[in-house]
Amino acid sequence: MAMNEAKSEVTGSVWKIVSEVGQKLAAGDTVMIIESMKMEIPVIAEDGGEVVEFKVAEGAAVTEGQVVAVLKD
Amino acid sequence: MSQPLLAPDWQPELDELALRRAQSVALGGETAVAKHHGQGRLTVRERIDGLIDDASFQEIGRLTGQGRYEDGQLHGVTPAPYVMGLARIDGRPVAVGGEDFTVRGGVSWSGDRKKGGQGGFVEDLAHQYRIPLVNLIDGAGGSVTSVQRRGHSVFPGVHGFERSVQLMGEVPVVCAVMGTAAGGPAGRAILSHWSVMVKDSSQVFAAGPPVVERSLGQKITKEELGGHKIAADVAGTIDNVAAGERECFEMIRRYLSYMPSHVWELPPVVMVGDPADRCEDALRTIVPKNRRQPYDMKRLISLVVDRESVFEIQPSFGRAVITCLARMNGKVVGIVANNPAVYGGAIDVKAARKQTHFVELCDTFHIPLVFLVDVPGFMVGRDAEAAATLREGMRSVYVGLQASVPMYTVVIRKCYGMAGMGATDKNGLDLKIAWPSAEWGSLPIEGGVAAAFRREIAEAVDPRAREQEIEAELRAMASPFRTAEAFGVEEIIDPRETRAFLCRFIDAAQGRLQTTVGPKPRYGVRP
Repeated sequence: MAMNEAKSEVTGSVWKIVSEVGQKLAAGDTVMIIESMKMEIPVIAEDGGEVVEFKVAEGAAVTEGQVVAVLKD
Repeated sequence: MSQPLLAPDWQPELDELALRRAQSVALGGETAVAKHHGQGRLTVRERIDGLIDDASFQEIGRLTGQGRYEDGQLHGVTPAPYVMGLARIDGRPVAVGGEDFTVRGGVSWSGDRKKGGQGGFVEDLAHQYRIPLVNLIDGAGGSVTSVQRRGHSVFPGVHGFERSVQLMGEVPVVCAVMGTAAGGPAGRAILSHWSVMVKDSSQVFAAGPPVVERSLGQKITKEELGGHKIAADVAGTIDNVAAGERECFEMIRRYLSYMPSHVWELPPVVMVGDPADRCEDALRTIVPKNRRQPYDMKRLISLVVDRESVFEIQPSFGRAVITCLARMNGKVVGIVANNPAVYGGAIDVKAARKQTHFVELCDTFHIPLVFLVDVPGFMVGRDAEAAATLREGMRSVYVGLQASVPMYTVVIRKCYGMAGMGATDKNGLDLKIAWPSAEWGSLPIEGGVAAAFRREIAEAVDPRAREQEIEAELRAMASPFRTAEAFGVEEIIDPRETRAFLCRFIDAAQGRLQTTVGPKPRYGVRP
């Protein structure tokens, strides 16, 4: 069982978490939305998988490349 | 009595020529070549063959090297570690050369005249004949052993970059880093219009791990120091990354297909049978109504330009802006598109640097520029200020104002501030067209209201409600149609008309482009 990490592509803050722990996401589904430069930038589950854990809460500040969620195949 | 006439016999000399040529083809010898192949690398001769049109290589300097003699008799020649000559790519002549790593790791060689690598015959050939230059770099530069060989140390610049710099205003220069490049060869790679490296098998740095450890005490591998993840993705030192050597040759051929042979002509026109008035319905719905939501700008580009004609430059660096060569109705164009998926398209220091280089590239080779604009401004914040975003951003504006190729501004969504101005043709026709989704100003309304109406908002019974009310009033006035009434923007178009509109103007500009070929003047001091 491979774990994979979902990372924020941008520095900003967590605006809305749109998935839940235990939810199975398809490749390309949105895990959460980061607000950055007044834009809603989605964090995508690139390979899909089940959400195991969120590393951040709504409102938290995130930096570029930061792991925000962990998924498993 | 006369002697019978005998044909002069030059056979011994021709045999010697054949022997010397065979030595040159053998490169550094069987063992060295096998070792090189064992690392999954091609030899310089295989690289040249893989790059150019079949059987088009006319080598120059096959006999250069170090002869080994016994009692005055030639026993063999160690070839000079550089192979070069004249070749063709897509039927057009090019000067091509590369270090031979199998001979002393491709370190510099001292003959009467340099073959290439840093100046040398191959660069003179590109300059004198006005043909593109392709450098296949695989060398570690100078070696301290040369002090021993010469008996003195060489002053920097004895084999300088003056020709390499001159070529930047004359002919397309491509540098491909095929192995580990340090020092001079690494510097040479940067003096190019476009550079590429091979994933996992090439690295580029000013100095390699042993020097870094000695100087700074840092222990670091050469891949960590100058592999593609640093050199291309983080630093943008090298423009593009190829998955392997064969793909690298394909990319070089592709890049050159967009370039003229020199700056005294226009790039080749290639018609692919894609109608200039093709309308794509998908363009009508590509921009979300929610102005905070990003969309796929690369898809937008591919729907507008000639099909399969996009060649992206620096795809992994400064991703807030997308720069690509493409064709419209067969003519080469340069696309500069903001990427709303990366910091809302705000221009950071890397994106600015990328845009500056690309605009200069297109201007030098007479390639019209199309700006697909969705830019909220320069990147803000402490990190952005510390990185000199303002200076690098203004440099991109400066270079845009000096460029003299026709430029077309298509405002897709946001066009704000100095970054927005940098996407216009202020010294030219200044033709700005917009989609109905467009908005513009000196700064976005939501950022400006709180500052400009501070007292009015503070004194309101419900400050938050008053702020939103003012925003709504201003937004209604910010409709792009009102600016079009004032001819402040020249046309608003149905997004589906974008391709036809641009093709029409780019076709019409061809006559004017023919009148401005030649080297472009560069003057003034860049900020």
